[in-house]
Amino acid sequence: MLRHNENKMRLPWRATNLVLLRPLPYSLSRMIRVRHLSHSFGQHQALSDVSFSLGKGEFVFLSGPSGAGKTTLLRILHAALPIQRGEAIVADFNLVRLPSASVPLLRRQVGVVFQDFKILPLRTVEENISLPLELRGLSDTHMERRVRAVCIALGLEERLKVKCRDISGGEQQRVAIARALVTNPKVLLADEPTGNLDPALSLRLMELFKQFQTYGATVLFATHSRELMGHYPEAHVMHLESGRITAANWPGAGVAHALRAGALRENFAVPGPGNAR
Amino acid sequence: MSGILPRLVRQGLTDLALHPRASIGAVFSLTLITFLVGLFFMTLVTLDRQLGMARVETVFQVYWRPGTDIGRIRSAWAEYLHLPGFVAVKTYTPEQAMAELGARLGRSGASAGQLFPFLPADSALPATALVSLVPQGPDPEKWAKETEAYFRSQPGVARVAGTPVRDEMGRAWKNVSRYVIWPSVAFMTVMLGLTVGNTLRLLVLARAHEIEILQLVGAFNRHIRLPFIVSGAVLGIGGGLFALLLLYILHAQIAEVLNFPPLFLRIHFPPPPMSALLVLAPAATAAISGALAVKG
Ligand SMILES: Nc1ncnc2c1ncn2[C@@H]1O[C@H](COP(=O)(O)OP(=O)(O)O)[C@@H](O)[C@H]1O
Ligand SMILES: [Mg+2]
Repeated sequence: MLRHNENKMRLPWRATNLVLLRPLPYSLSRMIRVRHLSHSFGQHQALSDVSFSLGKGEFVFLSGPSGAGKTTLLRILHAALPIQRGEAIVADFNLVRLPSASVPLLRRQVGVVFQDFKILPLRTVEENISLPLELRGLSDTHMERRVRAVCIALGLEERLKVKCRDISGGEQQRVAIARALVTNPKVLLADEPTGNLDPALSLRLMELFKQFQTYGATVLFATHSRELMGHYPEAHVMHLESGRITAANWPGAGVAHALRAGALRENFAVPGPGNAR
Repeated sequence: MSGILPRLVRQGLTDLALHPRASIGAVFSLTLITFLVGLFFMTLVTLDRQLGMARVETVFQVYWRPGTDIGRIRSAWAEYLHLPGFVAVKTYTPEQAMAELGARLGRSGASAGQLFPFLPADSALPATALVSLVPQGPDPEKWAKETEAYFRSQPGVARVAGTPVRDEMGRAWKNVSRYVIWPSVAFMTVMLGLTVGNTLRLLVLARAHEIEILQLVGAFNRHIRLPFIVSGAVLGIGGGLFALLLLYILHAQIAEVLNFPPLFLRIHFPPPPMSALLVLAPAATAAISGALAVKG
């Protein structure tokens, strides 16, 4: 009930009207809701019957080895891939039969850190980061202030005027992160965002993501780094393997054998059977 | 939504600088095609002026009744020299006509009766005049009728025949040009659109990565299209102006080249509306194909 009230405060007016008309649907209190999601590339089954849901302000690690389907799942969640089977609701957008005109609206609610960065090499760091703000029509001063703030948090403030092709891979990755964070998205999908960063920087970044979570953002953080997850023993973890959720340590993930946090950590988060594979 | 439109317009301009090779290629091919179209226009206009301005003459053949007083006829002929639009007159007295006819038949000095046994012995050919006149006034047909009536009203005139010779040519050209000029202009415009479209598709291809990123961070398609429309329009205007400049230089070189007797062919530059079309058509087609090159 408390959660309902919280939501009511921050819902867009249309959804608020809905709330007044009938009881709040379950999906509205969930930022991400995925049910029986399957996806295949030709013969290759990349995701099989994936179900889970994340509430507002929840932070979840999406772990799993390379090729497990993490990127595929995240791409479906921001409508970069169509839904083949199952259903998904993200930030109140039903991705099944989402009209293409609504896709930009969904993406304005969802920040994505792409595994391959997807930044514009010929533009400066500042131009890249302000891109989503520009599309929202923010004023120059407003934009500059937000870009500067996020760049200071990410240690990029010295590089604002440098073209992205002239900065290091780690810096490019931070630009990609900054661009996802600068809009204060409701949902943050991060695809191995610390892959190119050294451990110290990775941890600093993790703090930033965690901070976002405390502001109310829902964060789905894909990583194959057990070391990184090891620093957050209390975090929720969902483990993907060959397109299936094989383990999770909180009830939101729809696995029959949801493990206790300790068991999961034993199995995946710290060196364990995952290593042997 | 304060500054997004100016920003996108500016982006359309700066993007051209970011992809200099694709942009220069686009301007180059635009210039080439527009130049060719302009050359075609120039030919058409020159032809049009030449045939339209051609002093369309009408030749009237005036026959006098045989036996009319020759002095009277001669004074009528002298009068023709002062008709408005007079070009030339060729006259035949009955004797001249006879001599001419005899010469044609190979027997000179014979009388009509000797040449044509079926005619009365003293019969003579009629006096004749061939008068070439340029039509006066806005309605050449009305003028032709009035002039014919004037000749007929003269005493002793038996018959008048008007044959508008070169007038037919002008009218024929007008018919042809009506069926040729605008369809060819339309055809050229389509050609222009296709080429520009292809070039812009290359530009879009060069920016496919950028378009993907824009879409991923929540750009509406109209936001993605606008810079391309601006880029396309700029390329189109650039190509059109370049082509016009080349055409102008070429025209300055060759305008008088054919202007000597008996050709007197002055090469004409396409008039302002056509010149404007040479810039606006590539700009519009480039802008449209810029919009179409980004698929929704
Ligand atoms: N576009 C694609 N076409 C074909 N197969 C793909 C494509 N994208 C991913 N795959 C396959 O789907 C599986 C899951 O890939 P991915 O989601 O990228 O895994 P992860 O991000 O966990 O490493 C892999 O076996 C990969 O080869
Ligand atoms: Mg991946």
